Amino acid sequence: MSVIQCEGLTKSYGKIKAIDHLSIEIKENKITGLIGRNGSGKTTLLKMIAGYLKPTSGELKVFSEKPFNSLDVSANSIFVDDTMAFPDSLTLIDILSEVAAFYANWNSSLARGLFDYFSFNPHQPHSNLSKGSKSTFNSILGIASRCPLTIFDEPTTGMDSAVRKDFYRALLKDYLEYPRTILLSSHLLSELEEILEDILLINHGTKLLHLPVMELKELAVGLRGNTQAVFSFVEGKEIIYQEEFAKGSLYVVIRRELIQQQLEQIRQSGLEIFPVSTDDLCVYLTAKTKGGIDDVFKRG
Amino acid sequence: MILNTDSMKPIYVQIAEWLEGEILYENIKEEERIYSQYQLAEMFTINPATAAKGLNVLADESIVYKKRGLGMFVSQNAKQFILTKRRSQVLGQMIKELVIEANRLEVSESELSRMIQQARQENEEEQL
Repeated sequence: MSVIQCEGLTKSYGKIKAIDHLSIEIKENKITGLIGRNGSGKTTLLKMIAGYLKPTSGELKVFSEKPFNSLDVSANSIFVDDTMAFPDSLTLIDILSEVAAFYANWNSSLARGLFDYFSFNPHQPHSNLSKGSKSTFNSILGIASRCPLTIFDEPTTGMDSAVRKDFYRALLKDYLEYPRTILLSSHLLSELEEILEDILLINHGTKLLHLPVMELKELAVGLRGNTQAVFSFVEGKEIIYQEEFAKGSLYVVIRRELIQQQLEQIRQSGLEIFPVSTDDLCVYLTAKTKGGIDDVFKRG
Repeated sequence: MILNTDSMKPIYVQIAEWLEGEILYENIKEEERIYSQYQLAEMFTINPATAAKGLNVLADESIVYKKRGLGMFVSQNAKQFILTKRRSQVLGQMIKELVIEANRLEVSESELSRMIQQARQENEEEQL
């Protein structure tokens, strides 16, 4: 069963299209990572799915309903980001008990357990929390609400590395116990890719890739060595990224399927073969030029 | 449990190899139940789909088999199968790479076998 379905989905802000004819389908009980550069449209997409924003055109269905102004979608989903606002008259512990009424699957013992583990002061107001603590607290709400559709927009902003690790593990553990559809946007793909099943990579509001993480990790390989030797293997093939890192030495990233047959030959010719991290690959795929930032310095 | 996320080896292959190791060292014996995809996901903090693929690698080689409604179990002769496979595949590949590197460094065949003999000797002495 698909939880999210969109077809030709578009959201314009004036003349700028933040989301541009996007068509995707997200199946039930999968953890999907939404990846993209700054300004690629991640937040706009997530907010439309959560029903916060109304699409300009195209079709969007969440639980087979248009999410904007839908009580049903609202009751079955939670949208967590670092701008969640709560009344200042409520302390943190008040918030935990108040939100329980909004979410049918709310797990109060888990919420309290995480709250204590991260050493929150029950009587502090939400607005006094530091950036990282705010993200942590909001993430507790996201996990403990156990919503059939749980959306995290950059949930780890400001969290230190230990808290981020705890968050990923807590999320996965509770997901194993209580499977649900989870959508996470993040810039730290390398940290969280192991808990993801699928990756959706968007750029300029359009879909670049939507596939299992396992496939993304094997999508490309890097070859490094003598420039001519590298070229003899990749000539005429589409190059994803290239970098000359020393005179006469070249590093090239290419789709694995294009050179799968020649890998043994390449190894024997003395070239080095590297796996390409999903992080790097996503950066290369969304880059404007093949040489990245170095191209800026090459001009003139 | 630590996984090598930078390795050329995909995580599901690392899971399969770790399970093979558990069978090889008899931490899990033949005809015993092996970890479920959910247990593995919990242990390694990975998505259960990745863990399932690791288990499937073993099932495809008949190292484990499915008992309906009961989970996956280690096959008879699984240990011997893994031993044989690792000898021909893993050790074979390592030797291939060893030979390539030796050629690159202009190490002759007799020199290379002498180095192997010496390493074996040192290893035996360490174990005494």
